[in-house]
Amino acid sequence: MLILCCIGAVNAQQNFPVNGLRNEKKIIYAFTNAKIYIDYKTIIEKATLIICDDKIIEVGIAVIVPKEALIVDLQGKSIYPSFIDIYSDYGVVQAEKSKYKEGPQYESSVKGAFGWNESLKADFNAYSNFNIDVKSAETMRKAGFGTVLSLRKDGICRGTAAVFTLRDDNHNKALIKDKAAACYSFKKGSSQQQYPSSLMGSIALLRQTYYDGKWYASAKVKEKNITLDSWNDIQKLPQLFESDDKLNTLRIAKIGEEFGINYLIKAGGNEYQRLAEIKALKSKFILPLNFPEALDLNDPYDAINVSLATLKEWELAPQNPMFFEKAGIDFAFTSDGLKDKSNLLKQIQKAIKNGLSEQQALKALTQTPAEYMLMNDLIGALKKGMLANFIISSGNIFEKENVIFENWVQGSRYIIKNYNENDIRGKYSFKAGAEVLFMHISGTVDAPKIDILKDTLKLKTNAKFAKNNLTLSFEKGKKEDAETYKMNALFANKKFNGNMQMPDGNWQSFNANLIEAYSEIAKKDSSKTEIETGKIIYPFCAYGLVEQPIQEEVILKNATVWTNEKEGILTETDVWIKAGKIVKVAKGLQSPTARVIDAKGKHITPGIIDEHSHIAATGNVNEGAHSSSAEVRIGDIIDCDDINIYRQLAGGVTTAHILHGSANAIGGQTQLIKLRWGKTPNQMKFEGADGFIKFALGENVKQTNWGEKYTIRYPQTRMGVEQIYIDAFTRAKEYEAGLKDPLKQPVRKDLQLDAMLEIINKKRFITCHSYQQSEINMLIHVADSFKFKVNTFTHILEGYKVADKMKKHGVGASTFSDWWAYKYEVIEAIPYNGAILNQMEVVTAFNSDDAEMARRLNQEAAKAIKYGGVSEEDALKFVTLNPAKLLHIDNRVGSLKEGKDADIVLWNDHPLSVYTKTLQTYVDGICYFDIDKDTQLQKDIAEERNRLIQKMQKEKDNGEVLKKPVIKKKQLQHCNEYELLPHESDSN
Amino acid sequence: MKKLNNLYITILFCSFNLGISINTIAQNPTPAKPQTKSILINGGTVHDGLGKVYNDASVGFKDGKIIYLSYVNQAESKQIWDTIIDAKGKHVYPGLIALNTYLGLAEIEAIRAMNDYAEVGDNNPSARSIIAYNTDSKVTPTVRSNGILMAQITPQGGLISGSSSIVNLDAWNWEDAAYKTDEGIHVNWPSMRVYFGNGTEQEEFEKKQKERISKELESIENLFDNAYAYQLTAKPESKNLNFEAMRGLFNGTKKLYIHADYVKEIIAAINLCNKFKIQFVLVGAADAGLVLNLLKDNNVPIILGKTHALPNRDDEAIDAAFTLPKKLKDAGILFALSCDGFWQVRNLPFMAGTAAAYGLSKEDALSTITYNAAQIAGIDQQVGSIANGKDATILICNGDLLDMKSSTIKNAFIQGRLIDIDNIQHQLYEKYKKKYELK
Repeated sequence: MLILCCIGAVNAQQNFPVNGLRNEKKIIYAFTNAKIYIDYKTIIEKATLIICDDKIIEVGIAVIVPKEALIVDLQGKSIYPSFIDIYSDYGVVQAEKSKYKEGPQYESSVKGAFGWNESLKADFNAYSNFNIDVKSAETMRKAGFGTVLSLRKDGICRGTAAVFTLRDDNHNKALIKDKAAACYSFKKGSSQQQYPSSLMGSIALLRQTYYDGKWYASAKVKEKNITLDSWNDIQKLPQLFESDDKLNTLRIAKIGEEFGINYLIKAGGNEYQRLAEIKALKSKFILPLNFPEALDLNDPYDAINVSLATLKEWELAPQNPMFFEKAGIDFAFTSDGLKDKSNLLKQIQKAIKNGLSEQQALKALTQTPAEYMLMNDLIGALKKGMLANFIISSGNIFEKENVIFENWVQGSRYIIKNYNENDIRGKYSFKAGAEVLFMHISGTVDAPKIDILKDTLKLKTNAKFAKNNLTLSFEKGKKEDAETYKMNALFANKKFNGNMQMPDGNWQSFNANLIEAYSEIAKKDSSKTEIETGKIIYPFCAYGLVEQPIQEEVILKNATVWTNEKEGILTETDVWIKAGKIVKVAKGLQSPTARVIDAKGKHITPGIIDEHSHIAATGNVNEGAHSSSAEVRIGDIIDCDDINIYRQLAGGVTTAHILHGSANAIGGQTQLIKLRWGKTPNQMKFEGADGFIKFALGENVKQTNWGEKYTIRYPQTRMGVEQIYIDAFTRAKEYEAGLKDPLKQPVRKDLQLDAMLEIINKKRFITCHSYQQSEINMLIHVADSFKFKVNTFTHILEGYKVADKMKKHGVGASTFSDWWAYKYEVIEAIPYNGAILNQMEVVTAFNSDDAEMARRLNQEAAKAIKYGGVSEEDALKFVTLNPAKLLHIDNRVGSLKEGKDADIVLWNDHPLSVYTKTLQTYVDGICYFDIDKDTQLQKDIAEERNRLIQKMQKEKDNGEVLKKPVIKKKQLQHCNEYELLPHESDSN
Repeated sequence: MKKLNNLYITILFCSFNLGISINTIAQNPTPAKPQTKSILINGGTVHDGLGKVYNDASVGFKDGKIIYLSYVNQAESKQIWDTIIDAKGKHVYPGLIALNTYLGLAEIEAIRAMNDYAEVGDNNPSARSIIAYNTDSKVTPTVRSNGILMAQITPQGGLISGSSSIVNLDAWNWEDAAYKTDEGIHVNWPSMRVYFGNGTEQEEFEKKQKERISKELESIENLFDNAYAYQLTAKPESKNLNFEAMRGLFNGTKKLYIHADYVKEIIAAINLCNKFKIQFVLVGAADAGLVLNLLKDNNVPIILGKTHALPNRDDEAIDAAFTLPKKLKDAGILFALSCDGFWQVRNLPFMAGTAAAYGLSKEDALSTITYNAAQIAGIDQQVGSIANGKDATILICNGDLLDMKSSTIKNAFIQGRLIDIDNIQHQLYEKYKKKYELK
């Protein structure tokens, strides 16, 4: 029977001509007496594994070894299924970095009938771009891998990955699955094409392509598109998406949700920071093991540049696998990101030390990746009929002392380290001259430690044992007149026989006999000690909290209350909040269940609303490649970990309108958020708010200040800007007509035109970056001609020149208090702008467009008093009620009135004074900022930092070579920064 | 403006700048003529810039100098003054001094033709800001009308940007404006920070940064070595303009301003100056709070960068920049506040306001933009405070100068000259009020 299984056991391809004689082998190997891990959870002792050619033909305890089998006795050793790396680029021909081109590249540089965007490489196949990489294969095998899923890490769609074994002699056999998975990422890779230039652009491109794929498949499309053909073709494969951060992981899953795909996600490694949300995705994960390295923080001025988040990540990242296991989230491991792949087991040990079970670790290296690749009938376990991919190790593979001896790939033996067939440990006696000496051999079987003793005195000894051959020298006598003995002996039958050269040069025969068998000293109980770590904080950065603040019932008593209602400013008045709403604003309020805060001498205002902000966004806020990027959504890239959220709460800001930048005439869809510090991006979104979109006019849009190379994108003048709008709205109208026309179905879904159509149909509203009167006037005319209204002109520094026209059109203004002189189009910007617009009854707000200024918007509002004599009450409205009106949320926020959201600020002084400080800021009745708690938090941060820095320095004592830290800095964004060119800030 | 008289002043107070509506639109106001008549500001709250405040006090000045100070209302002395300004309910301050600004060197920042603040190359000690200072800048009047009457016009960029000069902000040309020329040389200390590159070739990226750092540090040190050696000879055979410009640094006739924000740069700067025994002024100094003792021990005065700044690091206190002035004050370090940029300088009083909100007394906060600034620039004997014998460079403000909601300048005098505080922005305001028939 066994022989039958071995038919066709050849090492060369059967149909390949041979130069010379055929060299067919049909060797059957039987590995006996081993501890065999059939799979991650099934272990059999004293078992036998029989392989023939590249397959396992039998495994078990009562296995009959065929007589023609070559028997390998693995007494005391273990056999594991070899590991699978499910995220690798092993052997795949890498993309060439495209050379820097002069000027921006707007179109694909790939010749042929491909799609429009170079970062979509759906037609790429790893299996046909594969070259065995002998050196990498060796490194990977050393780490214990036998099989890899390999892809080319280039582009947003990366085409297909293939499965290869790590044999290094035969391409045709190493390739065991051609199209194993379709791969994606948010990074555009080698493409130099301008689009996408942001994370939100990458997301939009993917979404549009899913729609395009469906349309291309269903419609009678007359043109050929290889990219879309391939795209459609690979949809049936497992869909593998690379993430690099927990928030990107959530973003990936959101795309998956839209298109009914449950991606296999290569995780960022920091998913533990949002574990509940990650678990809820019900996705499959590939976890990296490149835990952050300890840093050299000897210099305290280096240490200050390392953030609490970085320090905590260093401590907690090795627990990521444990958190996944405990949460019951399925995962495989990858060595991706490890600089030295042979450190794999070291990293796994770290994870195990941090709470991961060994069984789960083995599963994540074997069965799970095999299942993910739909290949668990072939790899990931040691069962009859599966590939003979296994490792021979000295013992428990997850223990530090363990040694991998051999890694067999498809029945081919790769020796990593020779093992000793014999256990030579024990106590021996021998004669040197006439004297009887002793040889003590301890250590491990494969790394025996050899000592020569005279009575109980240890002599200086040099010894080496390999292939049963012992070479040894030792010194006898006092240091200055020590005599050296040298010998060489062979081990057989529990004794050494050989020859010894005496100090005088004469030879003597050497015979060492076992006088006492080796007895292993019982190992110390290595039961895992609980590793003590800091706690996970939300968000995962300084000023994050372990416990989230909760909604409270509070009465703030006897304050000066700026209602923004017809009641005006009330003195000695109470504000009662409960269940996230304002219950009442009146004197003498009481509730037995409320916490009472004495606010005597203090001021209460509605929370500040910033109509124009760029905080809390991941990546570039400009998808500035094309003149229209209506398809992108800031809502896709909300970053809940931005410290500026907290800083702005401390300035009384409760709501911020996060805008796309002003790099193009039609920018992206905006996102209104409440500053719910500690919540997820989704939870921060202002629920039920109308959708807005950013438009922009003037110098940024026509690339005036982008440098000499940026002179080819249409438009380069204000004349062209108008035409871009007319064209876009005209196309949107035609699109709408198409959608309604049964004869034209199916119409290609166009995310950009969907947004434009929403504007025309008054379902989405424009906030338009603008400066000069001519362009303001122009956009009003364009809107009139398409029968909608521009909602807001933002910045609008020349609004005062067309205040009458704005009033007539019904558009609001969100301006700066006093900015000017930074570019030509603000040459006639005046700080009196707000005052004039307000007097002209245009709804007027002041915005920040700046993370620092946003936390002093109350002071910016005060400048309207200085410049133009706006009343104090009206001035405060510039940053509260008026932006609420502009954002259509004045029914919820912006004033203090029964039933409105409890978004309020408690100030210690007049809220428009430079001397005032925020004492408390509430959003939905939750106190997210409290000046006293802030003081406590600062202390906590200092303590936690100190603890972590001390702990990190201990790694240095443990002999680790630590690296000096480098400074990570988030880019603060302003839409006005013309330095922010698309090519400079890639999405990730 | 022909003559100053009582009547004129009265009119001035009745209606904002009514007397100056003779200016044609979009023209800068005409510089004022030297003071010929004596003036008494009577009955105001006088903030002397030295840390003291006097209610119902009087300040008199003649020929550009303060000659009379009384901290009680001196009604009987009124006869001797040509002009008496009733400042009851108003606040009187020394004119503000803006250090480290490129006002007059830039008009519209994004337009190359309109910028004259950064010479090409790394080492430009000999470049002089004063000759590029444009007295006709439309920006200057907008700064002046917020109380900034003097400024240190500072070149930017490179390792050594050039020499700064102190000017007054009401002049026909740069010669008129000059108050103290070529008073200091500005060094931008090379950034010693190694950043994370967010790319795959981090190691290469780090290496390049480190190479740049050591090259630039070496370059600065070399330059000072050479300049030091050069000045040992009184009249070298072959003149080197850059080294000539630096000569004064070694004999104390010129100030050395070193711009550095981060702690390692600050330490390195102190080290260099110790080597050459130069007393320098630290500009920027965002990390000063980390090395207060070092700065104090080495007698380093500081021109702080914007108070309205975010913390340098995520973990820092959210109000780190707001509280830094108080820390410097407590440490006994001489410091002034500044507001980098040019048009932005009009917000200088509010930087001081914030410093007052976060620990400084209001009078100490005022000193940081008046007397302290004068001390650092070496002009405190002439200007920066309200005291007998000092320049009559004075402001009258409707309310608290440091608080934006009340910071409205009524009058400003530079060396006794009543200057016109109108500006193009105000003119446009008036123009459009007329268009819409607004009040």
